[in-house]
This record gives sequence, structure tokens and C-alpha cells, in this order.
Amino acid sequence: MSKTVAIIGYAALPCGKWQTPPEAEIATLEHEVLAGLVIEATADAGIEKRDISSLCLTLPREYTRQKYFGTFMASYLKLACTGSVSEALGNGMTGGLAFENACNDILLGRSKVALAMGINFESQAKAADLMMSSMRAVGDVDFQAPFGISPIAWGAMDAMRYMHETGATREQIASVAVKNRAHAALNPLAQFRTPLTLAEVLNKPPIVSPLGLFEVPPRSDGAVCLVLAEEDVARGLGKPYVRIRSRAFYHEGVHQVSDEPNDMIALNALEIAGSSAYEQAGIGPGDIDFGELYAAVTIMEILASEALRLIPRGQGAVWAAQGRTSLGGTIPLATSGGLLSRGHPPYITPLYSFVEAVDQLRGTAGARQVASAELGLTAAELGNYNAALVHILEGIH
Amino acid sequence: MRDYAHPYPPRISDFTKTFWHALDDGRFITTRGARSGGLTFPPKPFSPHEWGEPIEWTELSGQGKLYSWTTMYAVPAAFQREAPYRVCVVDLDEGIRVVTRLLSDGAAPLDSPIELVVIRYTDCTSFAARLLSGAET
Repeated sequence: MSKTVAIIGYAALPCGKWQTPPEAEIATLEHEVLAGLVIEATADAGIEKRDISSLCLTLPREYTRQKYFGTFMASYLKLACTGSVSEALGNGMTGGLAFENACNDILLGRSKVALAMGINFESQAKAADLMMSSMRAVGDVDFQAPFGISPIAWGAMDAMRYMHETGATREQIASVAVKNRAHAALNPLAQFRTPLTLAEVLNKPPIVSPLGLFEVPPRSDGAVCLVLAEEDVARGLGKPYVRIRSRAFYHEGVHQVSDEPNDMIALNALEIAGSSAYEQAGIGPGDIDFGELYAAVTIMEILASEALRLIPRGQGAVWAAQGRTSLGGTIPLATSGGLLSRGHPPYITPLYSFVEAVDQLRGTAGARQVASAELGLTAAELGNYNAALVHILEGIH
Repeated sequence: MRDYAHPYPPRISDFTKTFWHALDDGRFITTRGARSGGLTFPPKPFSPHEWGEPIEWTELSGQGKLYSWTTMYAVPAAFQREAPYRVCVVDLDEGIRVVTRLLSDGAAPLDSPIELVVIRYTDCTSFAARLLSGAET
């Protein structure tokens, strides 16, 4: 009989600036922070240390001094594992891949309970220096990086194309940032919680035109530990949990930009992965109650929601401006505040998406609760959404 | 022409030197599958269309259309002296999409015709796009 995986608990650090400078007299140590979350998440799940047999981590950033961080954590926690101990890496999808590793150990029968977790500390690095690294990640290092391109420049070019093709306005696109900040104001894990006006977003200096400072991701540190279990374990705990209904992945065999001219803003990989996830779950986009999408810039939330058919093509910016993607709207997106306001510690951002989905589906999201939420969708990505990892999650009460 | 060294020069391999030497001569070339005819960019020492087929070099017109662009105000550390600058995605007439700099400063409507031009740094050669109707900076 095939197994089903459930999320039974979590603990998360509020996104923010936690990393201490190298010269600090008192340092904040990544392994101390993450171990604290492991203890907290285990208690939240209601399981014991001896139940856990997989540690599925994200690779820490290069600023984390401790290396072989995964096996170090197994030692620090004094946790022997029969499933696996690993550190995943896959650009923006990294957190999603750590989550997959935990799911796979459960599906393969190697573990009954697995931890998907990670810590991403990078806020002390200067933006221009970080971009020296990220420009090498988002294109051919000899044929694209030498033009001095950055990850968010791709988003800006997507925005230019979207406005050209759909007639969407700057204001409509910027309204995504206003909406997400309003959601973040209700989220204790969010980095930026002071409400924003549209004028404030539009009046910020341009970073990559047409996008301004509040439409591109902040610098964030964060840490998350999720507890995953085979569903029979979850059932035995006697409290609400989240069932993974379906999962789909697609990589279009393209890194950032296709050398064959295509519709760059259609996000084909996400469309394909999303369709597969709906089909496997036996549902359609209209059945989804909320979405937590990987969207580092305003435009990407619009494009991703259209590719997932949560919103008709070309209507994403209009819907955002009309409030139809806000809490209480047709399809609430980024109820956590999203990457722009909840925060964006890149390697673990997808783990924060699962955290929000758990809160919504257990009915513990407080003031930002989506009324009677039963089905949620998360998406993580690579490149310019050249690859997508989609999960459909269901609350079990 | 730039009177300084490239801020982040490309590495040149025994294979890609053919591309860079042609660029030096003002020609924009790439590879294609000899059987499938499938073009690819950057040039590759094999055909990604049909892995086993032989490849050949072919010259591109360097003319195409502007698919999208942005002005980058926040740039990687090595490129500070050039900021702000424009980068773009262009579709060449032969059906190849490339990423490069956009030289034009003024209005640059999408889908406008462009041409690729050679940019010479003191240590290497690069390329950029400019609007066919516009002035070079």
C-alpha cells in the first residue's frame, strides 16, 4: 500500500537580521539557533527524539563558518539516523529539495519521521558583493554574467514584457507589494510589518527599472524546522495535521533564458508542474483556497499565479490591484507577506511557504486565517522559473 | 571602445576562442547541428538538439528585435563604475535569443529592431545591442 506524507509540526525563526558581523564580541551561531528550533518543532509535533531517523537540511550559505553542517547537526543533536542525513542545494528551490528529501525517505519506508530544516544567514554581506555571487548563478558565467546581470534584473525584464503585452500598469504591479505588506502586518514571523501605501512603493528609488526598492526582495536571515511523518503516525497524534496531496516537478532544460525565443513570461515549467499537481490531486485551480508562491519580485507573483491558472492570463496585475488576491479575496496569495515582506532568506524561503500553509491548514493563522481553508498550494522555482516544484496540501482535522 | 579592462571578463576555452576571435573581426557566429540544422547559443562543442550529430560554425546577421530590457541601478560590485546600465534580451532574426547590454539611453520600445555591435575593452572584446534607429552612446 502506498504511503502518504504529513506535516505534523514546525518551529521557525521570525525573518529578520540575525547574523552578527565577523568582529562581533558575541556571535549568533547558526547551529545553536537551529537546534533550538528542532527541540521546539519536535514538541509542537508531539513526537520523541527517538522517532526521528532523517535529517534533511538545506545547504547553509558560504558565510556560515561550520561546514558539513548536516552531519555536524546530527552530532550536535546526538541523533543517529537510519534514513539519511543530507544538505540540499538548488538555488531558490533549495528549501523545497530538503523537503523532498524528507518526503522521499518516508515514501521509501526508510523513516517514519523526518526533519526538513535549514538556516540561511547572510544579512551582513553587502548587496553588491552578494550580487557578485548571484550573477554567477543566474546565467552562463562566460556569456551572460560578463554583462553584469543580477537575478532581479530578470524579473524586471519580465515586468517590462508583461506591461508591453497586457497593458498592465506600474501601479497595478506595485499593488502586490502593498497587499503583501498588509498580510505581513498580521504575521509574527514577518520581517516588515508596517503597512505601506501605493505611493510609498512607487516613490522609492528604482533598483531595476521599472521595479523599485519595495518591489525587490529584502535581505533576510531565517531558520525553519518542519517535522514530516508517515500519515499513520500523524493520525495517531490525535490533532490536526497537513497531508501532502500531490507533488510535481518540471525543469524545462533551460538555465535562466532559453536560446530559442519563447514566451518568457508564460513560466512554462510552472504551468506544466502545476497542471500535473492538480491532476494528481484530482482537483482544479478553482479548488485551491490560498497560494504561497516563490516570488522574489512583485511581477513574479503575478506571472506565477497566471501560470498556475489561479488567475486568467493577463489579469494578475488587475486582480492584485482590485484586492482579489488579498485576504478575503477570490484567491489569497502570500498570506504570510511573501518574500517581499515576510522575508526572503533564499535557501530556506520554500520552507517558510510550508510553514504558512501549515498555519492556514491547521487553522492557527490567527488574524490572517483564510476562512475554512482546506487546500493550499506552494511553489518553489529555479532560474526565471525554468524549473518549478509544486505541492498541494490538505488540512486534516 | 572602453579605456579600461572588462570588469568581469569571460574565460576563453580552446573551443570558444573561435567565437571570440570572430567577434574581434566584427562577426557574430555560433554553432549548429550539421544534420538537424538546430542553432544554439552560446556555441557548444556538441549539438544539444541531437547529441551525436556533428556541428558546424555559422554566421549570424547580428540583427533582431528587442524582447525586453531593464536599467540596473543596483549592480554587482565589479560593475559599479558602469552603473547604471541597461541589459536586454534580444531575439536575433535567425531565431536565437541572447542576453547582452543595451547601449541606447532613450526610449526603447519593445520589439524595436536592434543590431549587435562589438565593444572593445582594453583586455578583451564583448558585444552589445543598440536600436537600429537610435544613437550609440
